[in-house]
Amino acid sequence: MSTDTATDATSLEDRTALDRLRSSQFLSDLLSNRLALIGLTIIVGMILIAIYARLAYDLGALRSSQLGTVADRLPPGWTGAGAVDQHIFGTDASGRDIYKRTLYGAWIAMKYGTVTVAASTFIGVALGIIAAYYSDLTDNVIMRTMDVLLSFPSLLLALALVAIFGSGLWKVVIALTLVYTPRFARVVRGAALKVLEDEYIEATEALGANDLRVLAKHVFPNTLAPVTVQSTLNYGLAIIDFAALSFLGFGAGPGMPSWGLMLDNGVSNGLLTGKWWMSVFPGLFLAILVLGFNLLGDGMRDALDPRMRETVD
Amino acid sequence: MASKRFILKRLLLLVPVLFGVATFVFVILHLASGDPARVILGQRAPQSQVVQLRQELGLNDPLYVQYGRFLVDAVQFDFGQSYQIAQGDTVRSVLADKIPVTLELALYGQVIGILLGIPLGVISAVKQDTLTDHVGRVGALSGISIPIYWSGPMLILLFSTTLSIFPASGRLGSTIFLDNSWQLFGMQLPLTGMVTIDTLLLGQFDAWVSAVTHLFLPAVTIGIYSMALISRMMRSSMLEVVRQDYMRTARAKGQGSKITVMKHGFRNALIPVITVIGIQFGGLLGGAVLTETVFGIGGIGTMLVSAINANDYPLVQGTVLTFALLFTLVNLVVDITYSYLDPRIQQ
Repeated sequence: MSTDTATDATSLEDRTALDRLRSSQFLSDLLSNRLALIGLTIIVGMILIAIYARLAYDLGALRSSQLGTVADRLPPGWTGAGAVDQHIFGTDASGRDIYKRTLYGAWIAMKYGTVTVAASTFIGVALGIIAAYYSDLTDNVIMRTMDVLLSFPSLLLALALVAIFGSGLWKVVIALTLVYTPRFARVVRGAALKVLEDEYIEATEALGANDLRVLAKHVFPNTLAPVTVQSTLNYGLAIIDFAALSFLGFGAGPGMPSWGLMLDNGVSNGLLTGKWWMSVFPGLFLAILVLGFNLLGDGMRDALDPRMRETVD
Repeated sequence: MASKRFILKRLLLLVPVLFGVATFVFVILHLASGDPARVILGQRAPQSQVVQLRQELGLNDPLYVQYGRFLVDAVQFDFGQSYQIAQGDTVRSVLADKIPVTLELALYGQVIGILLGIPLGVISAVKQDTLTDHVGRVGALSGISIPIYWSGPMLILLFSTTLSIFPASGRLGSTIFLDNSWQLFGMQLPLTGMVTIDTLLLGQFDAWVSAVTHLFLPAVTIGIYSMALISRMMRSSMLEVVRQDYMRTARAKGQGSKITVMKHGFRNALIPVITVIGIQFGGLLGGAVLTETVFGIGGIGTMLVSAINANDYPLVQGTVLTFALLFTLVNLVVDITYSYLDPRIQQ
């Protein structure tokens, strides 16, 4: 009897080893993908910029307005048109240095973006696994709620939630977390259902593993791959939507060096008068960072589904 | 053929979802901070008036009574009157005014996206792993990475501020006025609310030119994003189809060149792309909110933003519910179309 159990346990161990092998294959596929590497480089670079800006600049100083000074909307120093050379990206309508604010914007985008993605991934994974594992009723209650949330275009749902919570950076994070959670729940539930069909889960249960153990040790690891891809792609989206809400006036408070708010300033105070630097730089950084996440996410998906790369003759 | 049972099933599944959506929208009003009566009357109104208005609005009734009333009204598409933005107007009439504006923008954007995205995706697939393909893929990926509220301003900087080719904001030149209705065989008919159509109905050609030039940049802004999504989907769907057995048969039967083979697969490859186009339409409605803000277009998006800022709850509720309804219906139509094209889905 005890030997039987031991054999079963070994076969279970084999299986996880297999999974690990599969994931190292996944990693090497990913690293051989040039576009994914570019994406990764962009992200790492932006993280370094964010940390540098956070340590080097004082947020209070970046926010404070110097209205009425000569520094009002100076063009970038290198264009030769500006009086002051030290403003490489020029200054905004309140005389603030756009270069420093743009770099600091990376910190804000990464910080709130990370919390949003982490929270929605965590809640989504939990809900998805529970929905897949438990009875019809639990499954239905969770997934129908997710369906309702998915019935709104995402930005609109975020706006509706902001109407409830009020505006502010953390409130936007909560709103966006609720917007993204259903996507994770769906992906995870799908992946978990597939694993649960496998015989070895039944075997594990027969061996007396409790629910928590089955879910944590067997179901959860098997959902990791799709979840990672979804998180990476969602990162880009979270950063775009987060800045969008600031752009519309619901996120960052006055003077915050958030890319969305800077773009809003650039559009209302510099677009028609040709003060291009006010909107070019924050948007460029934002787009590059999002591109980095999308490149990496795409590469991950390809590495997970190698069929996509087979050449057709 | 899509069986009636399938459509009926999809329709029945819609009921609980719409019920949930309505409940969520009801909750908006009751979770949001601020007393609606206070919002309507303003901060300085005496408390007695506020109390009286609360009574009139039925805000003192038990929650389930209010909820029931809300559902009954919502089914009839009645959200009461706007508190602030369009004080005195019914939410329904405000929406009827604003929806065509946003819909027109989203439709033109979608058309641009489809017309450019499908050929681009096909070219990318046919030339898989060549330089053309790489450029196309990175281009498409950039297209979805650039937020609308940045591509819009960049287009304005280039084409309005610098080159002065297209106007930067609004829907019509400031000197142009449109009549309220048009005549057909002596009958007075209402206008559609979409300027590019109305100007033609009224026979005002100058105004039509103005409407088109005003719409160009915003539509392109949305179109770029939509094009990027569609071409990505088209490419991968095309490559997926080529791997199928029937395509191998076609090749075995002597359909020589890759291009001939691709022609065979195009129709089938289009199926998932249609889904993307449909699903994405909801996203475009969201994108329209941002585009309207950038280009100063008075559609449903800019109105929603003002309504949220002004705590105009009935307007927020009506708008959100309408969007969700539109989004859900589009998804339903997509599902049914999909099941026509690919009957396997019905199982």
